[in-house]
Amino acid sequence: MTEGEVGLGRVSRPTRVWLAWRILTHDKARTTLAIAGVFMAILLIFVELGFFFAVPQGGMLFYDNLQFDLLMCSKQYEYQAQPGQFQRGQLDRVRSAPEVAQATALYFGSAKWHGGEDGKWPDIFVVGLDPRRPIFQADSINRELGLLERPDVVLVDSGTRPMFGPLTTGRVVKIGERSETIAGRYVLGTGFMGLGVILVSDQNFARLFPYRSLEQVNLGPIQLKPGVDPKRAAAELRKGLGPDTRIFTRNELEAHEVAYWTTRTSVGLIFGSGLIISFVVGIMVVYQTLATQVSRQLPQFATLKAIGYRDRALDGTVVTISLLIVIVGFVPALAAALGLYSVIRDETLLPVAMTWPRLAAVFVATLVMASISALLSLGSLRRADPAELF
Amino acid sequence: MATDTSLLHRFWRPAGFVPLAWRNLLANKPRLLRSSGGIGFAVLLMLMQLGFERAFFNASLEIIHRLDGDIFLQSASKYRFATRDPFRRSELDAARAVSGVASAWPFYADWFDVFWKNPFDGKAFLVRVFAFDPDHPVLQLPDVEGKLAELSDPDAVLVDRHARRFLGMDKGATQSELNGRKVRIVGSFSLGPDFESDGTVVMGDRTFAQLLSGPGGGLPGVEVGVIKLRPGSDPATVTRALRAGLSPEVAIFTKAQLLELERKFQADVSSAGPIFAMGTLVGFVVGMLIAYQIIYTDLTEQLPQFATMKAIGYRTGYLIRVVLEQGAFTALAGWIPAWFLSILLYRVVEEVALLPLRMTAEITLISLGLTLGMCLISAILAVRRVIAADPAEVF
Repeated sequence: MTEGEVGLGRVSRPTRVWLAWRILTHDKARTTLAIAGVFMAILLIFVELGFFFAVPQGGMLFYDNLQFDLLMCSKQYEYQAQPGQFQRGQLDRVRSAPEVAQATALYFGSAKWHGGEDGKWPDIFVVGLDPRRPIFQADSINRELGLLERPDVVLVDSGTRPMFGPLTTGRVVKIGERSETIAGRYVLGTGFMGLGVILVSDQNFARLFPYRSLEQVNLGPIQLKPGVDPKRAAAELRKGLGPDTRIFTRNELEAHEVAYWTTRTSVGLIFGSGLIISFVVGIMVVYQTLATQVSRQLPQFATLKAIGYRDRALDGTVVTISLLIVIVGFVPALAAALGLYSVIRDETLLPVAMTWPRLAAVFVATLVMASISALLSLGSLRRADPAELF
Repeated sequence: MATDTSLLHRFWRPAGFVPLAWRNLLANKPRLLRSSGGIGFAVLLMLMQLGFERAFFNASLEIIHRLDGDIFLQSASKYRFATRDPFRRSELDAARAVSGVASAWPFYADWFDVFWKNPFDGKAFLVRVFAFDPDHPVLQLPDVEGKLAELSDPDAVLVDRHARRFLGMDKGATQSELNGRKVRIVGSFSLGPDFESDGTVVMGDRTFAQLLSGPGGGLPGVEVGVIKLRPGSDPATVTRALRAGLSPEVAIFTKAQLLELERKFQADVSSAGPIFAMGTLVGFVVGMLIAYQIIYTDLTEQLPQFATMKAIGYRTGYLIRVVLEQGAFTALAGWIPAWFLSILLYRVVEEVALLPLRMTAEITLISLGLTLGMCLISAILAVRRVIAADPAEVF
């Protein structure tokens, strides 16, 4: 630093960073420990945040794999696995609109799978659809739909739990009151539909659930012609819609599902509270480190004061130390979070994933954490009294 | 425990003994506050995770706990409690004929077919429904306001005033609809939702039958058969006799076995166990890092004193013990405030999320053990400094 700077009681930014760096590297073991603490706190924030978003994402899994621009459903729609029913006539009416390319009927039901492990009959979630309409994003699933044109066959989601017994092709299982043959498996994931999911043709669905009429549809995914604006099309199609039916755009649907999982269930509270506590733990860790550093370096800080440094300059140094610690801790925490996410995905089948906004949000939270800790520890810095030093 | 040893030493040691660890802890009050804050929040994190984990399992076991019987019958293919898999009523008659059986009454339930209309905004929501013969209430409902006997009236129901708020069960409505059928609300109880159902409606068996008629329109099948034994009869003997007298489609459980079946199911299929276990582990590791930092700093500052003690003849073993005691005190200084704060937080969460978050002796002991563990491990890691303290170098 230049003499001029010292005389003015100011420290330029680079000097501040350099001073902070010197303090941090002075006792490497202690600094490593601090960074380890920050690392764990940030990792914890990542994990809680991952869960917080994974649950609604698990709820969105089916939609994310479906091709549609608009979704027709009942006014009683709760969430994907509990959508209510509406009249198929509504869907037929929409299908003839000029902007619509395709409108399909999906049927949901739940039946006993008479072939679980230990003689148990777990509930299987049944999706009925028209096998001639390719409505999934993945071509591999769409190609398999052709198999469903044979009578009394099902496709099993590969995420179906082991308690359903072997899912081998050709196995005959009694589902509800009917014998069905497993025609193959597809890869999509069961989300929050249940412990097991099967796809069947709509004709087969009607046989499995004889008390259900195919006139009563659960969901109607609508594909628009290329170039049609979904929002405008939705507004257009809503005119003349029956009183018990509604239409979501994809964005509206996602907002609805996220709101359902975070506010209507305990998910928001459980992981939200975890998020807040990990944030506070992070503040505690950084504060602990800073306060220790400040009290250990108190004579040095007092000396700086004595030779003319202003409080602001010293404050700046503490804030810089704090930011350096968290930034250095952030990088390995991010790496570890990515690793942990993949472990969690395998262990819990929840779609925990890193996204750029999430990464940015945690980084900002980290900086806020550092700033709060720094502000808390400035108190002890004020006590640095040159007169008491020697 | 460390506290006890120090207190004992106070009296037992020859005059001049100083409870060193205790004094060290109190020597610097702001530092004590800081360290109890740091460790306390890590402990709080563990306590919340442990609480949520227990709440998750307890919520799903709550109803089974409240079934009032000694032995239970349910369909052999029933894989979890919250799924409809009824068995024939005639099995209960067969059970009554078995010697040692005092009574055998049906419990009816449904989780996924009944929609409750919020009486205030008219929206319909899926609820779980429990039913029994009002003359033989096999379910012990908590804090019933109103009369169970009134459930014999057609279309009379009791609702859960602790159900999730959007159901509108907590505001004293007297009428609503189930699957479009008008029902009269004759009272309420306080149960609360679990992770599967948002609310509960209890009714008499006849109302249930009209809501969800069985095949052929008669009384529906029995979800759980609740059996009481004659005083003095041996449950194992009666179970064997029941096994011989009942169809193989019916399984026989004690309450402990029924609870275990459900607990095992929840542990197998849900992510709750690993999620909360990981949260607890992270709290432990963070806590250990904080504790190590605190203890290490303390020891560094007290190094001259330790070195001096060494110089005047104290054994290393004594000093190590002091350090471990200091670790234990630090643990308690963090754990005690965190424990009290968590009781408050549990209360808040219970009110807001309607989850049965309860402080139990088990959670208390586990969290205390983990806290002592993390602080003692930190103390052991940090004790090297004291062992290495060289009196000659100190001054």
